[in-house]
Amino acid sequence: MSAAQLWGYARPDGNIGIRNHVAVISAMDSSNPTVRRVVQAVKGTIGVAPSFGRGEMGDDLAQHVRTLVGLGTNPNVYGAVVISLEPESAKVIADGIARTGRPVVAIALEDVGGTVKATQLATEAAIEMVVEAGKLGRLPLPWSQLVLGVECGGSDGTSGLVSNPVTGMVADTVVARGGTVIMSETAEVLGAEHLLAKRARSEEVARQIYEAVEFCVNYAREMGIDLLGSNPSPDNISGGLSTIEEKALGAIKKGGSSVVNEVVGYGMRPRERGLIVMDAPCPAVENLTALAAGGTHVVIFSTGKGNTVGCPVVPTIKVSGNPYTVKALRDNIDVDLSAVITQGMTLEEAARILEAEVVAVCNGKMTKAEVLGEVEVAISRIGRTL
Amino acid sequence: MVKGLVLHPQDDVAVVVEPVAAGERVQLSTGGEIVAVNDIPFAHKIAIRVLTTGMPVRKYGEVIGETTKGIAVGEHVHVHNIRSLWHRR
Repeated sequence: MSAAQLWGYARPDGNIGIRNHVAVISAMDSSNPTVRRVVQAVKGTIGVAPSFGRGEMGDDLAQHVRTLVGLGTNPNVYGAVVISLEPESAKVIADGIARTGRPVVAIALEDVGGTVKATQLATEAAIEMVVEAGKLGRLPLPWSQLVLGVECGGSDGTSGLVSNPVTGMVADTVVARGGTVIMSETAEVLGAEHLLAKRARSEEVARQIYEAVEFCVNYAREMGIDLLGSNPSPDNISGGLSTIEEKALGAIKKGGSSVVNEVVGYGMRPRERGLIVMDAPCPAVENLTALAAGGTHVVIFSTGKGNTVGCPVVPTIKVSGNPYTVKALRDNIDVDLSAVITQGMTLEEAARILEAEVVAVCNGKMTKAEVLGEVEVAISRIGRTL
Repeated sequence: MVKGLVLHPQDDVAVVVEPVAAGERVQLSTGGEIVAVNDIPFAHKIAIRVLTTGMPVRKYGEVIGETTKGIAVGEHVHVHNIRSLWHRR
């Protein structure tokens, strides 16, 4: 299949986005209600209002701030209105976003006189930004600049047969065209890490893959948790997956067959192109947030039993090869590949269908999660607040 | 019609692409045919070889766990008769 032209919006930092969002970002949870009010009032905005943020410390705080700045500087974001209770926490995020040349307005509830005033100021700023953003036209986005996220959730016996290998074929196509693919969900690599490490560009990258998996094992042990107690999950088991190895062998297929060029931490931007492994937790909302902060334009989300959620910043394409799920969750599944099982469609044909959907979504087609507003943000915690 | 997909020549299991009832014949993608011992839900696994207790179980040509009891050809292979090898770590 010849490469279709992708079109996007130029950003001052040289990136090109496939959406032209104005992000309304809450630096801490106490300003979330104000963010929701502004997003409801102003079309063209997206809300980034995760829990926590107040009183976080050390690495935990650093991850919270880094992730919010990462979301605010995602290629799909034109500019941001950052709201917080007090000015310092708003400023650190606003400054991080402003460094990319994007327009930013920071508003502190304590400074401006409370909820009503902050809502008014944020709404005015958001309206102005959305109108400005609308002046941008689309220009060509080279495949070499595309960053595709791949994720799976609600895995079952069809995931490793259809939706994950087909996602992997599209991932290989993106890499072959010089682009970047980020796969994640470290605990789902557990049991198949040797196969991923074999494809590492260097011994250093292989070691980082093993270390990331080993961390999960050791953390569970230290906490006295049976890692196998939650993996496979109850829906994985009812869907036919019996062990964590079986789940992992299916899960890693979504990354395709390319060389692993780099391992990055939660929400970090890769330095390399090609296939990247991001060390981040598996649950969909946390993982999508990490992938979006890491600069992905679009995510292919492979599912067996079904999963409904998407990310506000990054369009999330739901794909399933389970003929029951594509019917039962037709409100939520974007790409139906069940013909592989029911009609003997080849994986190559399925990959052409999925690639065409990626192109369409990049060029403006809304995903089901976008249409429904079925989007959420959660930043993983790595410590506790006191 | 093929109802049991064998994903790799070394595999001990096939994946059923339709729900299978006990006693039903299951044609395999490799050409053979087996009889289901139990009801097997859609996308679950059916044994295509006799497996004794403690043996590794292969799917995708890779080990997905070990048997916790003997498994006959045509039996449903799942959490009741196989387990992860990670319990050893």
